[in-house]
Amino acid sequence: MMDVKKEREKILTDEEADILQEIMNIAFGQAASDLADVIDIHVILSVPLVKTLQAPELPDYIRGEIRDICNISIIEQKFLGKFRGNALMVFPSHAGKELISLFGLEENMPPEADPAEMLGRETLMEVGNIMIGACIGKLAELLKDRVTYSPPRIIIENHSCDTIPDSQLSADDSAIVLKTVFSFDRGSISGFVFLVTSHESIQWLKEALRKFIEQYE
Amino acid sequence: MIFAQIFDAINIGLVILDRDLKVYKWNRWMEMNSGIPAAEIIGSHIFDFFPNLKTRKFLRSCKSVFTFGNFCFFSQKLHRCLFPFKATGCFDTRFEYMQQSCAMGPLRDENNEVKYLFIYVQDVTEVATYEQKLVEMNMRDSLTGIYNRRFLESKLREEFKRHKRYSRPLSIIMFDIDFFKKVNDKYGHQCGDFILKSVSSMIASQIRNVDFLIRYGGEEFCCLLPETALEPAIGVAERFRKSVMEHDNNFDGKNIKVTISLGVAEIRPNINSPETLLKKVDEALYRAKRRGRNRVEAMI
Repeated sequence: MMDVKKEREKILTDEEADILQEIMNIAFGQAASDLADVIDIHVILSVPLVKTLQAPELPDYIRGEIRDICNISIIEQKFLGKFRGNALMVFPSHAGKELISLFGLEENMPPEADPAEMLGRETLMEVGNIMIGACIGKLAELLKDRVTYSPPRIIIENHSCDTIPDSQLSADDSAIVLKTVFSFDRGSISGFVFLVTSHESIQWLKEALRKFIEQYE
Repeated sequence: MIFAQIFDAINIGLVILDRDLKVYKWNRWMEMNSGIPAAEIIGSHIFDFFPNLKTRKFLRSCKSVFTFGNFCFFSQKLHRCLFPFKATGCFDTRFEYMQQSCAMGPLRDENNEVKYLFIYVQDVTEVATYEQKLVEMNMRDSLTGIYNRRFLESKLREEFKRHKRYSRPLSIIMFDIDFFKKVNDKYGHQCGDFILKSVSSMIASQIRNVDFLIRYGGEEFCCLLPETALEPAIGVAERFRKSVMEHDNNFDGKNIKVTISLGVAEIRPNINSPETLLKKVDEALYRAKRRGRNRVEAMI
């Protein structure tokens, strides 16, 4: 098994991975300052750690990275451009409720609904949408792509310790893991963003990365 | 551009705003549902016509579209509707306003600059109505229309959590129609059903709107009394007992009198689960039965 893995072609060459890391640094730097401007909330985004994986390895990776695997929620959003795939954002379960007042969503609250529960969910989707949009949007902008998005949805909620479903992950797909810790004004809520992309998208990404670096050569 | 015809033909509301949030385009669907002709609204600030849109979320969303080229979503669940239109397309609905699922996103020029933002508005009133009905059906008893046992179970779990946090009192009354089997045997099941409905609707009319009346089993009912300690709950139970005893149930020209037996319990420090509370109130009810029926017994 290990031999197969070793032999498998690297998803990105070392040089491409470096360029991607650089682009992510720029994108996240800009995203953080734009986020502060847009949502009037001071956001700290740590320098993202970029890593590539085969998609089926992703569940194991998530399990390895997150201490409290029993209490997570995952937001999924599809993005469509030349670069296309699924963005997954992993939050701790309690994050939704903590973010409600910060995002001022209670003013939209219909009175008859169960406040804490539903607001928590909607807030997670809202924050997920903003964060995923900021990350993908900046990446697309730097690589001269135009993307559209599906509505965010919660695919895992208050996860109960069993395995992360990998049915949607095809063996041919690749995952680009952006591990970033973000914290808002008060209290720190950290999470991960994962981009799962198809083989074709990776080909486009390699090309776009090459063009990007050519500007500077 | 022939494809531009889709803009007016599509069965979805489409609005385009410029960077000052002035209306640039307003499609026929929007004209039809808002009653505002495009000619009237184009060039105006959207807030002049829809001041309700001026929320933090809407302003933030507009900003993020222009800044990131982000998409923003306004789910029906949270927002109900962006544009308050009358719900006309769906007859059997309890919603006063059309339920909408909306999104906004960027429109870019050839230099990739975000020039405008679009908003689309989808009428989801019908689906939201079905959902609401399903939710209702799932927590109501079909015969009596009061809450069912499933509802009680989830409500009790919720109330226990609340009690742990705020230590507010919570009481429960469990009651049962005395000799109900005899009513069924003597007058038939239709009459039995009538008695169940009659008793439950009479009790339902006596409780506060924070209380919950539940059909627990065949002829067994529960009443959940938040913010109520044992003593006042016993008073409520006594009132239930009297009013059922005095009530005339007129079925098929006959007046059928019934009585109920009641048990009362409240959350105490040694009662740490919904199951224990139900067991306590059940014991009290059976004591009331054993001691001669048509009476109230409290937990020991």
